[in-house]
Amino acid sequence: MASTDGVVASMSELPDAAWLTSLLGLPAMGPRRLGALLDGRSPPEAWTAVRSGRPLPEVADVVGGRVGALFAEWAKAAGDIDPAVVWAATRAAGVEVVTLGDAAYPRCLLTDPEPAPVLFALGRLDAVAVPSRVAIVGTRRCTRYGRDVAMELGGALAEAGVAVVSGLALGIDGAAHTGALAAGGAPPIGVVATGLDIVYPAANRRLWNRVAEAGVLFTEAPLGTGPRGWRFPSRNRIIAGFADVVVVVESHTSGGSLYTVEAALDRNRPVLAVPGPIHSPASRGTNHLLAEGCVPLCGIDDVLTALGLVGSAPLPDDRRTTPDGSDLGVLDAAGWSPTTLDALARRVDLAPVDLASSVARLVRTGWFDEERGFYQRVR
Amino acid sequence: MLATVHAATLLGVRGHPVRVEVHVDNGLPAFNVVGLPDASCKEARDRVRAALVSSGLAWPSRRITVNLAPTGVPKAGAVLDLPMAVGLLVACGAVEPDSIEGIAFLGELGLDGSLRPIPGALPLVDAVEVGVVVVAPGNVVEARLVTPTVVHTVADLRSLVLALRGDEPWPEAGSPTPEAYTFEEPDLADVRGQRMARFAIEVAAAGAHHLLLIGPPGAGKSMLARRLPGLLPDLTGDQALEVSRIRSAAGEALPTGGLFRRPPWRSPHHGASAAALVGGGSAAMRPGEISLAHGGVLFLDELGEFAPKVLDALRQPLEDGTVQISRVAGSADYPARVLLVAAMNPCPCGGSGAPGGCRCPEHVRLKYLRRVSGPLLDRFDLRIDVDRPEPVELLDGSDGEPSSTVAARVAEARELARSRGVAANVELDAPALATAAPLSHEATRLLEATLHAGRLSARGLHRVRTVALTIADLTGREGPIGPDLIDTALGLRIDPFRPAGHGIH
Repeated sequence: MASTDGVVASMSELPDAAWLTSLLGLPAMGPRRLGALLDGRSPPEAWTAVRSGRPLPEVADVVGGRVGALFAEWAKAAGDIDPAVVWAATRAAGVEVVTLGDAAYPRCLLTDPEPAPVLFALGRLDAVAVPSRVAIVGTRRCTRYGRDVAMELGGALAEAGVAVVSGLALGIDGAAHTGALAAGGAPPIGVVATGLDIVYPAANRRLWNRVAEAGVLFTEAPLGTGPRGWRFPSRNRIIAGFADVVVVVESHTSGGSLYTVEAALDRNRPVLAVPGPIHSPASRGTNHLLAEGCVPLCGIDDVLTALGLVGSAPLPDDRRTTPDGSDLGVLDAAGWSPTTLDALARRVDLAPVDLASSVARLVRTGWFDEERGFYQRVR
Repeated sequence: MLATVHAATLLGVRGHPVRVEVHVDNGLPAFNVVGLPDASCKEARDRVRAALVSSGLAWPSRRITVNLAPTGVPKAGAVLDLPMAVGLLVACGAVEPDSIEGIAFLGELGLDGSLRPIPGALPLVDAVEVGVVVVAPGNVVEARLVTPTVVHTVADLRSLVLALRGDEPWPEAGSPTPEAYTFEEPDLADVRGQRMARFAIEVAAAGAHHLLLIGPPGAGKSMLARRLPGLLPDLTGDQALEVSRIRSAAGEALPTGGLFRRPPWRSPHHGASAAALVGGGSAAMRPGEISLAHGGVLFLDELGEFAPKVLDALRQPLEDGTVQISRVAGSADYPARVLLVAAMNPCPCGGSGAPGGCRCPEHVRLKYLRRVSGPLLDRFDLRIDVDRPEPVELLDGSDGEPSSTVAARVAEARELARSRGVAANVELDAPALATAAPLSHEATRLLEATLHAGRLSARGLHRVRTVALTIADLTGREGPIGPDLIDTALGLRIDPFRPAGHGIH
């Protein structure tokens, strides 16, 4: 062990945050396991315990089964990690690291039943200090309707000084932040499940950077952590922890946004759900929430009321030319669910040549949105 | 002792004249074939030898050299068996050289000396340089399509020798009974509902516009596509000869008593290789599916399941209407003017693909669609979604419009296209289109706005105008193309890749 003395000496000067960063970088290391490891141990002691590879009884309680294999895996991974190097890289990347005891740690998470032991942040940490925050969540596989609602909500809330919290996923999450950024106002708060150097989904890279610039990005995962299935529900609890109110815009019968709802209910946060067409699979989850007694969101005012704020956001002016004659009939026949040309041909009494032209006209004038051959009304 | 026999070989879908030179000399017994023969052509040595011996003719135990001239053209297949045998007979003195003057020989030999039919008799007979040709009985019908060549046929080598010596007359080749072409094409009346899709295939048939049908399994995409050839007019005389020539070269039997007169229908499986689709793949450079569908419909079901490389190989032939295949051994051109119809599911799960309505994650769906490249997609002038028909429509006894009615409208539209100097509107180039279908002022402004919004490429613009003209032809509208027809053409051109819009209007 003589040869490692020099390294240990320099390591002893590392702050606790550095040891925690390396601990969180171990495979399958969640907040609960880390909590058990730190039970009665300082972070450097926990690191030494992990390096030894001997299973600890406290951890065994929260893992259940296969503890020996897990510790062996941890010891092997820890052997390849130099906490001093990891810490230097984290600092060099401009990532803020706040631990549960720090003054900079977000206050709203202090009372959380399962607070993140460490948060990595990119952007302005004070963005969370706004008076109120609303989480806008929903499915990645959304409809035009859901996307529009998420954007409008995001925009109206940011304008009213309410920070929008979301997960930067495709679909509803992304739309909510896009709306908030377009409106300016309160800074956006993004909570992601990967390391801050790994943009996931890659398609949202621009949005990711804009949120980090205008507001703040949080994650529990150290740099270099790719997307792992278990991290997403775990991330959702932090979203719920940040939010004063959680809004579900669209959700299928099962999906990640329902984890957020569960976490919000555990934390006594009000949950609002946006009603949708009963035919739409993307609204099945939200409609079910409503049936179970969730508060319906029928307008922006409903969120402001739930926050204890009063106000009203007027709708933007409609500058579209009003469709006439047969176009109006086609618009009515389309309803509010995605519809194909073929389905429209069944509902309206128009020759195919006139129907195709009517639909293209409605797309051009902004009444229809075409998405891979499906036409959706735009409010 | 030297003999020269006229024959022909097949290169791609065209025949090339060949002279088979046979030289018999003293020396160690040997039998060599030179002049770019392929494997089956080299094997002729064994067949010819066995056939001569079985026919009771003498085999010269001497040094035999066969040269296939011109030596630069690759020779493929067993078609040169018979000319080699005849050349040997002449070179050994069994038959007088004068008796084969002005006669070409085409045929494969069996080991028993019998004459067997060969693929591509039509282009081969067309290529020979002389006025008389001897073929196997199975090739007589095809050979007779080439006028004014005189066609003789014999059953085996023995009767050939007798006929050449003048000991017996040439056997009568029974003239086949001319039979009406009775291939039944499925009728459009069987299709229930689906008004938009029916309209789209009518437009596709009228203007020869490539058509992409997108819809869930069971929507009837294949059923619709299968009815497209029935809407197309009969092949013209020249087209019929060309189509028959290609299919003959591919070894397909021609319909009894004549040429293929209806547009072909080809539907290769999605496992097809690039060579199977565009041609080539062997020394004989067999025509691919796209050439076999020349003049008719090439249907690619499950477009997303074809290998992307294979699909991209189709792009150039679709644009040019011909395929040029180049191999080490040589190159060949095939006609490949097809109406391409493709069908695909909107997503791999087999659902309807409605936004927010299917189980597939976005990236899985996109990956599936991206197998069809943007440039290939751009070649489909008509792209529509096809829904599963409603139960009411399926059970409702009333028939849709029959193919004959639609085909009559298509024929009228094709007549208008012919008055513009093309077979179908899709062949109109930019100046011809500007003359045939000037745009109204509003239509021009509409197209400008569409181009400006980035929804249309330059190619797309030309295609949209062409489709608008075809629709005008079909619906009997005259005068400049108005904005409503441009809108119709745009409405029949959905973009399955188009990402969800973000803007609030």
